[in-house]
Amino acid sequence: MSDRLVYVCDGGDCSEKGSVELFEKLRNRLAEVDPGEEKARVRKYPCFGGCEHGINLTVWPDRVFYSKVKEDDLDEIVDHVEKNAPPLERLCGIVKKDVEDIIWEMLDSPY
Amino acid sequence: MSAVDLEAKIPNNVDLKNDKRLLRALEKWQPKFREWWKEMGPSDYNTDQIYLRTAVGVGKGGWAHFDYVKMPDYRWGIFLAEPVERTIHFGDNIGSPIWNEVPGEMRNRLRRLIVTQADTEPASVEQQRLLGDTAPSLMDMRSLFQVNVEEGRHLWAMVYLLHTYFGADGRDEAEELLERRSGNADKPRILEAFNKPIESWLDFFCFTTFTDRDGKYQLASLAESSFDPLARSTQFMLTEEAYHMQTGENGVGRVLHRTGELLAEGKDPKSVGAMPLDLVQRYVNAWFSVSMDLFGGEDSTNAAESFASGLKGRYREGDGIYKDPKALAQAYKLEVPEGNRLVEQEIPLRRAMNGLLLDAYIADCKRIVSRWNRDLERLGVKETIELPSKRFHRHQGVYADFDFNPAGELISKDDWAANVDSWLPTQADREYVASCMKPVREPGKYANWIGPHSVGVNEQPLDFEYVKFH
Repeated sequence: MSDRLVYVCDGGDCSEKGSVELFEKLRNRLAEVDPGEEKARVRKYPCFGGCEHGINLTVWPDRVFYSKVKEDDLDEIVDHVEKNAPPLERLCGIVKKDVEDIIWEMLDSPY
Repeated sequence: MSAVDLEAKIPNNVDLKNDKRLLRALEKWQPKFREWWKEMGPSDYNTDQIYLRTAVGVGKGGWAHFDYVKMPDYRWGIFLAEPVERTIHFGDNIGSPIWNEVPGEMRNRLRRLIVTQADTEPASVEQQRLLGDTAPSLMDMRSLFQVNVEEGRHLWAMVYLLHTYFGADGRDEAEELLERRSGNADKPRILEAFNKPIESWLDFFCFTTFTDRDGKYQLASLAESSFDPLARSTQFMLTEEAYHMQTGENGVGRVLHRTGELLAEGKDPKSVGAMPLDLVQRYVNAWFSVSMDLFGGEDSTNAAESFASGLKGRYREGDGIYKDPKALAQAYKLEVPEGNRLVEQEIPLRRAMNGLLLDAYIADCKRIVSRWNRDLERLGVKETIELPSKRFHRHQGVYADFDFNPAGELISKDDWAANVDSWLPTQADREYVASCMKPVREPGKYANWIGPHSVGVNEQPLDFEYVKFH
């Protein structure tokens, strides 16, 4: 099982924009190509704080922070995660850097 | 996994009907709970119809049902999250089977953990019981009652564990949970933050932002527990708890938004009965600091033992974000006061479990404050809200006997006394906030000190009649 985690924001604003459904779809698509979760595990995350730019999704420990994610983006996100394709630049760098930094501070435990 | 039984006297997915002894014990506790609710639950609104969410299951495809309910008729149920195949994933017993019964040697420690968590649930309902009278909108009133009934359900979740796994001791503890009272000198609630009155909606929003968030982190660490019934209970509680924290985070955000709008127009918020930024800052300072105390001492052998034995994990331990699931190889760096300066000490990581959980909490709170400040910035307001240092105004842990300013600098008692009124709410602040607390009962209308919600509940419009008064 991979140590890599794809977190889909499950906060109030992202949920309103359909993050729960997006989570299910992403998990199902990744399960088709990576049933043993060898490339990544998909989990929900309570809130990333980039609420105005949701749906937000991160790939950790890659430190990739995707914003404004839509269902149409899932194929390319699956390619990024499963085939190690380059991150989708159009979805990166949308939230402010300090928002990203707080999230990495929360996830990058030195322990 | 048992099927969900919604028709039973106590809705549940734990197959209560086939455990007659447990069923009888819980049915005996149920009227006492209802009596407690009538006496200590939200005052005056038991005959009104509230548009509430009720948990009806735990599976995929929706777990809640929305409808008008009179609060005493709310279906408080017992729901555990769906089981997953797993083994113990942290501490000394990694790889061993999880427990479905309480190991004898852990009985007292586990009972104390459950009782301490359980006690906070009715306590917060008691603290908030008068707030309905001054709700700034019908939707806020509905949110308050939603939070209250779900804290009641969380009490049920914990009482189920006490009755099921702790015999006569557990039953006694369940009785005492209904006997203690928030702020009562003779029978106070266990944790100090739950004995402080929640006097205003600003307090309520700060409480749900900061104090309920402590609850999230405690529940999340229990959700990692090797004692599977506790892990599954708390996992489902977290699903409901998310709304409570959102109520707070958005509530303070809406207060700040209204203040920001007024400041952008060049108006003094006080001139129209809204909240000045410096006053909100003092409330943030107070509630954030008192909530940090709930994590306990940063250096704790108790916390080390709970981790080692598999009772309580780190935040998101199950995601595998930690390098050493035994937490044996590393040390935690902690700045501690020594004389008139701070010196760095290293403590074994296991003893720093409370400190680690607190760090995760603080990072989460930074995220919230950053979000509030981005909204102020969008409105053209230069001032910001700042999260105080983790050393500020502490009464638990290594900083408890020292004075620090909000920036975390060690100061003298004289400095503290000279500045405390600019750092923590004053009597004048409390009186001013109280003077703003006027109820607004017209659907879609809001008190002048707070902005509107951005969306309604369950896709209903903002002017939906969230509370129907009898």
